[in-house]
This record gives sequence, structure tokens and C-alpha cells, in this order.
Amino acid sequence: MKKLLSAFMLLGLILLLAACSGDANGTSSDDNGGEGGSDSGSAEGFPDKPINVIVSYSAGGGTDTGARILIPYVEEELGVDMNIINKPGGGGWVGWTELANADPDGYTIGYINTPNLMTGYLDPKYNRDQSLESFAPIANHVTDPGAIAIRPNDDRFSTIEELIEYAKENELTATSTGAGSDDHYASLKLNDKFGTKFKAVHNSGSADSRAAVLGGHVDVLFANVGELATLHKEGEVKIVAVMSKEKSPFLEDVPTLAESGYEDVYSWSARGLAAPAGIDEEKLEILRAAFEKGIKNEEQVEKMGEMGLQVEYLDGEDYDQLLKEDEEGVKALSDLMGW
Amino acid sequence: MNAEILGQVIQNLLSFQTILALFLGVFGGIIIGALPGLSATMAVALLVPVTFGMEPVAGLTMLTAIYTSALYGGSISAILIHTPGTPASAASSLDGYQMTLKGQGAKAIGMATISSMIGGTVSALALLFLAPPLSKISLAFSAPEYFLIAVFGLTIIGSLAAKSMVKGLAAGVIGLLIGAIGVDILTGYPRFTFGSMSLESGIALVPAMIGLFSLSQVMIQAENRGKKRKKISADAMSGKVLPNKKEFKTVWVSILRSSGIGTFVGMLPGAGGDIGSWVGYNEAKRFSKNKEKFGTGYIEGVAAPESANNAVTGGALIPLLTLGIPGSSTTAVLLGGLMIQGLVPGHELFTTHANITYSVIFGFIIASLLLGVIGLLGARFFVKISGVSEKLLAPIIIGLCVVGSYAINNNIFDVWVMVVFGVIGYFMRKTGFHPAPVILGMILGPIAENGLRQSMLMAKTDLLTYYFTRPISVVLIALTVISLFSPLVMKWWEKRNANNLDDGQETKIS
Repeated sequence: MKKLLSAFMLLGLILLLAACSGDANGTSSDDNGGEGGSDSGSAEGFPDKPINVIVSYSAGGGTDTGARILIPYVEEELGVDMNIINKPGGGGWVGWTELANADPDGYTIGYINTPNLMTGYLDPKYNRDQSLESFAPIANHVTDPGAIAIRPNDDRFSTIEELIEYAKENELTATSTGAGSDDHYASLKLNDKFGTKFKAVHNSGSADSRAAVLGGHVDVLFANVGELATLHKEGEVKIVAVMSKEKSPFLEDVPTLAESGYEDVYSWSARGLAAPAGIDEEKLEILRAAFEKGIKNEEQVEKMGEMGLQVEYLDGEDYDQLLKEDEEGVKALSDLMGW
Repeated sequence: MNAEILGQVIQNLLSFQTILALFLGVFGGIIIGALPGLSATMAVALLVPVTFGMEPVAGLTMLTAIYTSALYGGSISAILIHTPGTPASAASSLDGYQMTLKGQGAKAIGMATISSMIGGTVSALALLFLAPPLSKISLAFSAPEYFLIAVFGLTIIGSLAAKSMVKGLAAGVIGLLIGAIGVDILTGYPRFTFGSMSLESGIALVPAMIGLFSLSQVMIQAENRGKKRKKISADAMSGKVLPNKKEFKTVWVSILRSSGIGTFVGMLPGAGGDIGSWVGYNEAKRFSKNKEKFGTGYIEGVAAPESANNAVTGGALIPLLTLGIPGSSTTAVLLGGLMIQGLVPGHELFTTHANITYSVIFGFIIASLLLGVIGLLGARFFVKISGVSEKLLAPIIIGLCVVGSYAINNNIFDVWVMVVFGVIGYFMRKTGFHPAPVILGMILGPIAENGLRQSMLMAKTDLLTYYFTRPISVVLIALTVISLFSPLVMKWWEKRNANNLDDGQETKIS
């Protein structure tokens, strides 16, 4: 009898665990959302069941944070639940492959990140089947410009001009969040255009980059504004330039590279949403309209701003254009990458 | 830490969710630990996805509470049925089971509970006082230091390879090779992926661990099917649970020593409760006046390993929170729990997120004390858990293995990883290899590789000069050399002493 009791208790424990882990991730249904997708051609009544949103990075990261802020607003517009599914790995390609191969019935969409997406399919080492053609852009959500920062007490340079001049004469180490990341490209482009001698030290995330520069182990910090704004305000690091076309609204006091006389080097990471290619046009329009309202929502923009994330809405067409520009940008650097 | 943070900490800890999390964590941890085949690592791995939707303080408090109480729970089955619930409680089964055979099972469990409680609390206090100052110098640690810490951690394989050094080293190298699978972050080149997308992010640690430790354990146990199973005799739990004053007097030095040893072993990268408890046991034996009583059901032989394996928990959290280097395989899983909450180890944990971090540390101290209370009050109940039939247990554990390895990343590929490593683990155990060095290699290999290659880029002079001009590096190199050669020196020393003794005896005889 007591054995039976403990057995039941264990069973209950398992069920509890299974249920909790399902709820916590907001999904217990098929990841592809592919079942019942026989009507993938018709847009009538779309959407009438939950939509899965694939995030190709782990929970708690920048992309994930942004997605979790935005999605509730889009849910309101579409009137169905949306489940965020984290598929980290392979520099984002575990999730992106799944997105590209998903049934284009509109019930599976996902975040795509530049330039990492392009690096992935343009680099011949990976031999991937996908390209931009595999995705139907919905809207751009966030553009996080690149930023160059130094230690405030570095006596070798204190402005972007001094830094670039110094780097022309001397080799300086620069942080990078992996080969082919936007941070890596930024230092490569500077070397290419202005003859600086930045040497990228790759690590696995911007937290490592920050620690390496704060500790005095690496000379120059290459990262995104969203990852540095707080540290800059606290005076822990000094951002000397942003690599966007206009000043960052979070950093009014920091000049752009172009303003300082170093033109033609821009760097950003754009995060937007896409559906698998082949999605019904009408469904795509429904999604685009819903995301436009969600992304333009003032409250959402404010919440994103608190996280240092700069919302930049681009409609499907403009976003497509941006993706193509980014692709060209990465292609132009293929020599530097040694492809 | 200032008064303002202290106020927030108290507020955090008094919230309903945190209190519930503490009780659930301790209670659930003891149950999972008491089930043979389910380790502390498994318990934490299962719960990490659950904490995703929780407040950071409640979620992390629950995980640390589960960690420490699962290590304690493992000793219940070790003592009563000679089947360690977790690898860390194997040492406790030596004297603990002998005590049960003598009819002192209740007292053994009581001693284990008190020792675990003291060990856990001592190490939690060490965490509270050591981690903040360490976090301040954590910025001085960079690629070269990470490389050296990992190498230092790898020298521990020597002590993991209990029976055969060659097999221990071979298992360690296999772990290092497995750790090399995936995209090389320095060049972006996919290694050993055979064109598989899923392998590009490498072999996930948690499913591999679940397979190697839990699934293979079930397979070994399944072999014993049909054989008569050890039953808990009816009078095993009769008598007093609390040890008397006289017994306390004999063990308290051992408990404190083991708490210190456990905390220190926990701080070593990758070395967990299993090593801590054996070192604690051996040192207690070495210093005891009653060496010959060890192994015969001597109460000190329960107290020493039990306080040591719980002391490992607080120690293992120190490098995790300050440097992001897991002090044990369980803390490697805990790292995932931190990341999910957006908390990155390092000095930011003790500045920007200080109120969360200190709440978790205080929560951990409370959990260690709570473990003692719940353990003593519920001892007679938890005992029944360890008596659950294997027929029921095996399918439940396999179910949990699948759920646990899937839930951590919501990835079905991880389930296959778990199954494959389960089979590998089974054959390793059958052929006398230990799975622990494999995990050590998998955890430390990538840290060592990236550290070395990053430091090669960072060094502006030649590499040796670079390493030897960094003070922390020099200390770590010295530690590594000591760790490598101390067993040889000790052996030589003991041999010399033994020879002297022999000489002395010979002269007497002649």
C-alpha cells in the first residue's frame, strides 16, 4: 500500500514537471505547427490557432528579450496566442534552418539577425542550402548600431580620432563576439578603409567582451549600443563613436564615425521577423499589418528603450531592401574573411 | 553589501514565491536524491526549464536548494540499502550500511542529516564572505588565467581515476575531444559535425551528463533484475534518530574539517561532491584515533563524507558566480539557470544585480538549515522512498531522463544525445572506465582551448613572457605543478617513512 502511494507520488511529480516545463516555455504543441496545415493555401480566417515564433538564440539574450517585449502587442492585433520557441545553436542556424524548412502556412515565423544570417549562408565552409530567397520578410523590429568604446582612463587615446591614428601605427586588440559577427566585420572594415591594425579576439558573447576590456586585457571594445549604453552612462567605459548613419538617441553626446571624418564604415545588427518563403501573399499581408501596429506601439517602443534597444520599424519591402544591402556588405568582405 | 541591499534581500526572501520555492526545493531535492540513479545534476537539469517563468530569486533559490538537498538525499539510500542515491554519497555507504546492519540505521541517518546541514551551512557562509571580494578581482582574470584554471582542473582527473590511471586519462581525453565538436568560435569553422546542423552548437552538456550518469545507471541496475533485492529490514529505522552527546564529541572535529575540505574541493573547477566526500572520508580516517573502526559501522565514517559532499555545493558556487567557471558538473547546469534569467557571472552579479545575488546566497544558507529540519522530521518518510521497487523506478527514471534532456533546450536532438551517451556510459562502466573524467573534459576543454587561443592573440610579446608577467597566472601555474607532483612526493614520503619503520623493527628483532 505504501509502495503504491509512493509510486503515485512519483508519477505526480513527473506529470508536474512535464506540465511545468511545457507551460514555462509557452508551448507543448508541435514545434513546426505543421499539423492541420492542409489549408496552407487559403488565407480565410487566418489566423485561427497559435503561431510559433522561433528565436534562434537562447533565452535571456538580446534577441529573446526584444521578442518577449514585442510579441504580446502583436498577439493583441492577431487575436491568437503566439509562442516564443528558443532554438539556439550553430550561430543561429539551428533555428533558421527550421524556419526555412517549416510549412509556409503562416503559423511558424521567426526572428532573423543580420549580418550573422548572411555570414552563415555565404561562407562556403558550411555548404548551406539556404539564402535570402528562403525567407519572406515581415518587418524589421530592432536596429542596434555598432559602437566603439575604450577604457576612460586609457592614456594612449581618448577620442575616436586619437584611437584611429594610434591604431594606424600600433597593433591593438579588439573584441569580437565570434568570426563573422557584426563586431568582427566592423574592425575588419576599419582596417580595410583606414589602414588600422585592429586584431580581433573572438569570444562567445558581449559580456565577455566587456569584461576583457574593463579588466585591461583587450584594448578596444567593439559591441552594440544596447550592450554598452548603461556602462557608458555609469562611466565604466567611454563610447568614442557609434557606427550608424545618425546619432543614437540613447547617446546624444557620442559622434558617429562619419561625423568624425571616417566615412563609409557602418555597422549594425538588425533583428526582424520573417516567414518561410512560399507563404500565401494574403497571409503575409495580415502578419505584416499586425506587426506594423505592434512595433509602432508607443508603449512597446518605450519598454524596448529601457533595455537600450532601438526600435526601427521597416515595412516588408524596406526590410527586404535592408537585407539585400546587408548581404552585399558581407559579400564585399569575403576577401577579408578569406573565403 | 549595504543596508539598502540588505533590505531588498529580506523583502525578496519573504515573498511567498521564494518561501514556497525553498520548501519545494528542499523537499523535492531530498526525494530525487534518495532515488538511486537520479543525481543532483539530474535534479537541477529537470528544474532549470521550470524556473524560466519564475522570479529570478525564487527560481535560483529553488535550484540551489535542490542541489544541496539532493546530495543529502543520496545518502539515505546509501546508508539503508547500500545503493548510493548519488555518486557523491558512495563514501557514506561504507560505514553507513554497516551501521544499518548493526541496527543503528536511524542514528546513521540522523548523523548524516546533521553533518549535511553543518557542511552546507559552513560552505554557504564561505560563499557569502569569499565570493564578493573574489568578484572584485575577477576582472583581473582573462584568457590566460581561464586557460590555466582549466588545465589545473584537468589535473584532478588523476584523483578521479580511482583504479586505473590510464583509463582515467583516456576518459578525460575522450571528454576533451567531445568538447571540440561544434563551430570553432575563433575561425567559425565547423569541426567534427559531419554536416549535421545540430552538431554545430556542440554536444550539449546536460543531456550528455544525464545519459552518462542516469541512463547508464538504470541499465546497470536492470542487469540485476531477478536477483534478490536488499530490503530495508523492519528494525533498520528503530531507535533514536539524534546521536547522543558523547558521539557528537567524537565527530565534531571531523565535521568541521570535512566542511573545510568540501568547500575547497568545490572551488576546484569541475570537481564535485563525489571527490569531496572521498577526500573528506580519507582525511577523517587519517586523523582519527580509531582508524581501525572505519568501515565497520563507525559514526565518524558517516559524518565526514556527508559534511564534505554538502560543503562542496557552496564552494562550487564561488567560481561559478565570480568567474563563470563551474566548480562541479551540477553547477555547470546551474550556469544555464543563471543565463536564462539574464544573469551573467562576474563582477556585475555583485554590483548591478547585487540584490538578486545576495538574496540567492542567503536563500542558500536558509536552504542548508531547512534541509536539517526537514531531514530530521521526515527521516522516517524519506526512508520509504529509497525502498521503491526497481520495477517502478526504472521506467520513471528513463521518463525523467527523456523529459529532462528535451526540456533544457526544447530540442529533440538532445534526447538522442542522451540515449547515445547512456549507451556509451554503460559500456564505460562495464569496462572499468569512470564517466566523471569525460564530463570534466567536456566542461574544461572548451574553456582551455578558447583561453589559450585568445591569449595567443592578446600577447604582444612572446607567449611565455606574457604568461609569466601576469601574477595570477604564475600562482595558477604553481598550483598546477603542485597538484601534478604532490601524489608522487607523497608516495615517496610514505615509502621512506615505511622503510624507516621497517628498519626500526628489524633492529629491534636482531
